[in-house]
Amino acid sequence: MAGADLGGGGGRSHKKKGSSIKKPKRIGFSLDMTPLVDVAFLLLTFFMFATTMAQPQIMEMSTPPQLDVPIDVQASRLITIYVRFDGKIFYNTGLDPAMQPLELNKIKEFSVQRNSEKGNDLITSLKVDPRAKYSQLIKVLDELNLAEGDLTEKYKQQKTTRERRFAMVQMTEQDKEELAKL
Amino acid sequence: MAHKPKRVGFKLDMTPLVDVAFLLLTFFMLTAKFKSDAESEQKFEIKRPTASADTAKLPEMGTATVKIGIEKGGDTVMYYTVANEKDRGAIYTQVPGLTMEEAAKKAQVMVPDTTVLGHLVLATRSKTSNKVKFAIDADRRINFGRIEQVMNTFRSQGATTFNFVTVSQQSSGKD
Repeated sequence: MAGADLGGGGGRSHKKKGSSIKKPKRIGFSLDMTPLVDVAFLLLTFFMFATTMAQPQIMEMSTPPQLDVPIDVQASRLITIYVRFDGKIFYNTGLDPAMQPLELNKIKEFSVQRNSEKGNDLITSLKVDPRAKYSQLIKVLDELNLAEGDLTEKYKQQKTTRERRFAMVQMTEQDKEELAKL
Repeated sequence: MAHKPKRVGFKLDMTPLVDVAFLLLTFFMLTAKFKSDAESEQKFEIKRPTASADTAKLPEMGTATVKIGIEKGGDTVMYYTVANEKDRGAIYTQVPGLTMEEAAKKAQVMVPDTTVLGHLVLATRSKTSNKVKFAIDADRRINFGRIEQVMNTFRSQGATTFNFVTVSQQSSGKD
């Protein structure tokens, strides 16, 4: 039996007689694993350092193509969100130009509510002060995207399709002055 | 005469250690995504803004990215990179204002101003027959003004759809 030779259990009886040198008992077999471990850890360390975790995500953004002719929009359909230089958020509507403050965590709710009132007609525009931080813009866009997700879901239940009307517009000097007063 | 075996050092059962090591090794090997050439070249850092809504991942191929980062000294720098290696050289060398030897071998090129960026965007669009996805990969601490300039450049070159590169809130924590 091949297994017996390896294990040493069966071979014991043969070597018993006549041998004066005591051989240590062989139980199973042991293998020096140190080089194996060395290599394993080396590779492990290499892969740990070479890996880039957290694959970046993307947030899609469309801007209208450059047109020379301005397009007229019904005042009742327009809502504008402003981000002031210090990151504070305000909004006004086409009909009511007085700017109202808006909390960042209320944007989603606000957008869902306003859009539900107007259906697909509401045009949301976003004006950001060039001095504002980029992170603030992303936060606002994120909230609007979340609202968009909710709206799409809502529309699907009503068997209609959602068309998003959103644009980022350059902030004018006049807007900046208005915002500075608040 | 009792013969006692000599004790040389001591023995430790390394099997569990090896088990764990190999488990981790396998995990890292399978999840490994290597840094691109452009990433290993760059000397500035980009702290990406966090977002939750979008789950789309940044594609590895077919993208052209404008990177706006902050250098060690605190200055903002702008770099441009095209993910496809074979298009890179052809695009970079077309653009006036970039040094040739730099353009030929680098994965990403430094963009001094928006005029050069405009040329780059246009060259990219014509070279890839407009199949490329544009992305803005900017540090969250940067003023929006810089981003706006880039957005306007994209827009003036006809690239009206582009992407903002973000990281998900879970993986980077709150800031």
